[in-house]
Amino acid sequence: MKRKLVIIGAGMASGRALEHLLEADADGFDITLFNAEPRGNYNRIMLSPVLSGEKSYEEIVTHDADWYAAHGVTCRFGEKVLRVDRDRKVVVGENGEVPYDQLIFGTGSSAFIVPVPGHDLPGVVAFRDLEDTTAMTNASGTPGGRAVVIGGGLLGLEAAAALRMRGMEVTVLHIASHLMERQLDPAAGYLLKKDLERRGITVLLEASTKEIVGEGRAQQVNLADGTELPCDIVVMAVGIRPAVALAQDSGLDCGRAIKVDAQMRTSDPNVFAVGECVEFNGNLFGLVAPLYDQAKVLAATLTGAEATFAMKELSTKLKVTGCDLFSAGDFAEGDTREDIVFRDPGRGIYKRLVIEGDRLIGAVMYGDTADGNWFFGLIKDGTDISEMRETLIFGPAFQGGAPVDPMAAVAALPPEAEICGCNGVCKGTITQAIAGGATTLDDIRATTKASASCGTCTGLVEQVLAVTLGDDFVIPAAKGICGCTDLTHEDVRRLIKSQELKSQEAVWQELGWSTRNGCHVCRPAINFYLLADWPLDYKDDRQSRFVNERNHANIQKDGTYSVVPRMWGGVTTPDELRAIADAADKYNVPMVKVTGGQRIDLLGVSKDDLPAMWADLNDAGLVSGHAYSKGLRTVKTCVGSQFCRFGTQDSTGLGIRLEKILWGSWTPHKVKLGVSGCPRNCAEATCKDVGIICVDSGFEISVAGAAGMEVKETEPLAKVATEDEAVEYTTAFVQLYREHARYLDRPYKWVAKVGLDWVVDQIADAAARRALVDRFEISQSVYRTDPWAEHARPSERPAWQPLADLTLEAAE
Amino acid sequence: MSWIDIGHIDDIPLRGARTVKTHSGCIAVFRTSDAEVFATGNACPHKGGPLSEGIVHGTRVTCPLHNMVFDLATGQAQGADTATIATYPVRIEEGRLLLDAAALSPSQAAA
Amino acid sequence: MMDVAVDTPVKTFIQVSEVWVPRDGRLVLAEGDYGTLDAFAEASRHASFAKGEGLPGKAWADQRPVVLKGFDGSYFKRIEAAAEAGLTSAVAIPVFDLDELKAVLVVLCGDDDNRTGAIEIWRESDDLLMLDDGYYGAAKHFEWISQHTHFPRGQGLPGAVWASLTPILMRDLGSGYRFIRADSAGKAGLTTGLGLPVPSPSGETCVLTLLSARGTPIARRFEIWDARPARVGKTGGAELIDGICAREGRLWDEDNPRKAAAWQGHIGRVLGTGLPLAERGGPGLVAGYDSIVALPVHLNGHLSHIVAWYC
Repeated sequence: MKRKLVIIGAGMASGRALEHLLEADADGFDITLFNAEPRGNYNRIMLSPVLSGEKSYEEIVTHDADWYAAHGVTCRFGEKVLRVDRDRKVVVGENGEVPYDQLIFGTGSSAFIVPVPGHDLPGVVAFRDLEDTTAMTNASGTPGGRAVVIGGGLLGLEAAAALRMRGMEVTVLHIASHLMERQLDPAAGYLLKKDLERRGITVLLEASTKEIVGEGRAQQVNLADGTELPCDIVVMAVGIRPAVALAQDSGLDCGRAIKVDAQMRTSDPNVFAVGECVEFNGNLFGLVAPLYDQAKVLAATLTGAEATFAMKELSTKLKVTGCDLFSAGDFAEGDTREDIVFRDPGRGIYKRLVIEGDRLIGAVMYGDTADGNWFFGLIKDGTDISEMRETLIFGPAFQGGAPVDPMAAVAALPPEAEICGCNGVCKGTITQAIAGGATTLDDIRATTKASASCGTCTGLVEQVLAVTLGDDFVIPAAKGICGCTDLTHEDVRRLIKSQELKSQEAVWQELGWSTRNGCHVCRPAINFYLLADWPLDYKDDRQSRFVNERNHANIQKDGTYSVVPRMWGGVTTPDELRAIADAADKYNVPMVKVTGGQRIDLLGVSKDDLPAMWADLNDAGLVSGHAYSKGLRTVKTCVGSQFCRFGTQDSTGLGIRLEKILWGSWTPHKVKLGVSGCPRNCAEATCKDVGIICVDSGFEISVAGAAGMEVKETEPLAKVATEDEAVEYTTAFVQLYREHARYLDRPYKWVAKVGLDWVVDQIADAAARRALVDRFEISQSVYRTDPWAEHARPSERPAWQPLADLTLEAAE
Repeated sequence: MSWIDIGHIDDIPLRGARTVKTHSGCIAVFRTSDAEVFATGNACPHKGGPLSEGIVHGTRVTCPLHNMVFDLATGQAQGADTATIATYPVRIEEGRLLLDAAALSPSQAAA
Repeated sequence: MMDVAVDTPVKTFIQVSEVWVPRDGRLVLAEGDYGTLDAFAEASRHASFAKGEGLPGKAWADQRPVVLKGFDGSYFKRIEAAAEAGLTSAVAIPVFDLDELKAVLVVLCGDDDNRTGAIEIWRESDDLLMLDDGYYGAAKHFEWISQHTHFPRGQGLPGAVWASLTPILMRDLGSGYRFIRADSAGKAGLTTGLGLPVPSPSGETCVLTLLSARGTPIARRFEIWDARPARVGKTGGAELIDGICAREGRLWDEDNPRKAAAWQGHIGRVLGTGLPLAERGGPGLVAGYDSIVALPVHLNGHLSHIVAWYC
């Protein structure tokens, strides 16, 4: 059974309530809507641009006949409601009765007309509805027509500016000493007056209207001080008066307006009121925001949901094109209040913030209102602003680093700029493809091959799409490195290079990190990118490394560590073995194990013992095997031509040589090499990151193998004739990997992304290859060193012990 | 309270930690910025990982074994995890680190 | 209903739009929308202008918009190609950022007897805006009225633009709502007016107005974007503060304005480069339209607004 709902008045508040109601329960009500105006609902606050000609009436209609018909609302437009009989629960209209279960008053308000003599002459109009607007438009048709606007508040000033645009000579009369005194302080009022005067509008302050005179129509306004203002039209815009006559006649409890509770209920539980005809806790309402809040509450109440209306802070904007003002909250002066004022006379900017305690309670802005809503939010939320008091006036942009926009850099790239390194696709090719109809990443991949083999440039290609297509292309949700940033690994690597960021602080700041110093996900990655790109400028940060790399040993599940000395190419000596055996004895190593990388692992060493043990091993010429690092691990070799009857080259020697070049370098993930002396491949080189197979004619270098969770055979990189070349190619490959791969991608993953062809091209180019080797050598001038020796120094040893041992003190 | 001098602030690396041995177990003392330190239990409640070996970021530490993240001020695990580590009063006086002895008695630690 | 009406091909008032940019002391063609006038496009591609030379060069030298009606015997350089293409008149609008010439936008029209519309230049003289020159096509009476009209600050579309230094879009010129030259505008069929300030290094501000008629519109969609930091904040971008579209109706939304980010899409490109653009076809164009012209306004060293029109 539908409830019968009658609404009196089709205004913005009742219209919004109707929308909410139909949304919540489209079939629950049988609705009848009375409206005295012979039309539906329009956005009254946009009447002033309609008056100026900057908008048309059609554009501000919110609910027309079609809308009501579509929603099954019975419209009784142009029909006055004569009375409401609450005993019988019927509304009596001019054309008959309508029964109701529930009734809503949305009767709104009428303009307050100052009762000066002559106020009822034709030509004196208010500025409330479309009829008033039309009357003013007609009056403005007279060439050289003159208008007097009484009231320098929001509505009066909007009317004045609009009439001026219509070609009238306009004078504004305002009773107070500055314009919009309820929303602005004197300084902002002054700037507003200046602005209006620049438009040719005359503003008279402290002007008291004595009378309006004329022959049969308003022709002149006389002020108390004797000023006479001839005119063709007088606009009264001094305020509103809630329309409550019908409610009073119906016996509802009224003060200045219809009294309602926080559920918008009147003194009759079946009768509600909403909008400008409402009085709540002694307050009346004129601005639109609280009316919409009321509408929401009313709809909730009617559908049985819980909702409570509460007074909120309000903000004001003036709809005069080119006048930027904003005000919110309370800005009266007071002993306990503090002002922050900013002025830029050259640009006509004035901003004032009023602070009480640690809260912002008011804001007035003129000329620059960009931060208005941010300040309004601080006021409404009662945010504690003590932390940002010093810079508050400069707005939110000052409170944190400005976000980086990689888009700008992409857009600025010339058409010939290479986007996809793997397939050599430039920006122009991609934009041509887009012009040819490509709208998605897949389209681009299909037509240009850009990002088809690699993940690295996907973000770039997406940015080119966004730059070219605008709103039509939405970049897939950012795959930021971690919660600290929206930037991807690739973005960060690119920006570290292009913006020459050489410290962690520079990265946090310039790339807008949301945390103080990253997290366990991003910081090790950033640390690596920085040291890989700026080996001489940036110093490796131990505190940004996982425990194994920080302590140069692998932590075990019981908190002890494993120690693996390096055995170059898997070759050792009796002395080295003795030193290892001695260390195992001395430090009570519970397990000694031979690893798959042709060396010996000492497991179960306590942290305290590490430096001393390293020192002992150092004494025998042993250094760190980096069994713990994202760096070069081992170079596995077979015995090669020196002893093996099948060996074609000195694979052991080559392995040792490679290991001596590569050791100590940091890489995105661990790197393992293998060198086999013949195709029988005893060193299992073809499942390594770099594998070299010696043949009679030289060396077959292959890369990107895997033998972990995934097993993958290496792919050929090059075949070279000499050992020197084999070393050069291998070194160049490792450096290329260091410069381009995402942190924690093994070489096989990286090569899959960028494409083997691209890697081969890079390495095949002699100049590029040598440049890679040169850059690797620069980096190795810092990192080709034994970390064990460094930490085993007496000065470093205390740091490996507990800071204090309180068990001893307690025992004393 | 009785405060015990456990060392100098500069003995702890910035964004790092050191341990203090006590009768009620190992305590980790973290230095999160130039003059900001925290003290917590060293063992991660998950699998006993040494928190002093974790990466320190902001005022948090990530356990080196399984990446559980703890707020050093409250001891609360972050994210979906619900575990808590003990926290101990620690303060800096002219560069010296002072740990509250009262908080270290076995009964206190157990509570 | 509306779609059917507007999607029938219409003759547009402007036939060619082109953007000239300074390069090594001369103006060269950056891009242009020539419709089907391929030969004129080809001729333009090979042209370049020194300061003071030809129409673009004159707008550069004079530091204000220039209207040229009738090319024969004038300083116009591409007379033959224009004549073959049936083009008879042109307006050149220089885009200055303080003292720096960013570009010159040139629009060319023809078929004067059958196309109605107006492109007007208003200049300050004794604290009034007077018509400097204008091209009106077939709207001869309206042209005569305009020559005898002036605007004080704040009055009418030119006066309001002048006083507020803001582009303004007016509706229903000549209908019941009174545009100052309404009667004549109504008879000429003019419906929509777009006015914008054209700042000059000399400090003098001109006002450019484009008045569009229903039969031969200058555009079927107009947009005004506000890019002032005082409005959109320091992060940049722009907000659509006004606009109308024959397909979508109103484009403005008081509570939730559309936004454009630098470098994204056409408006973003103007935001990023600070240059006008004139493009036909191509990706990212608003659905239902074949071409766009977007013109930035630089005030006090900042890009303050962008106006765009679509056909």
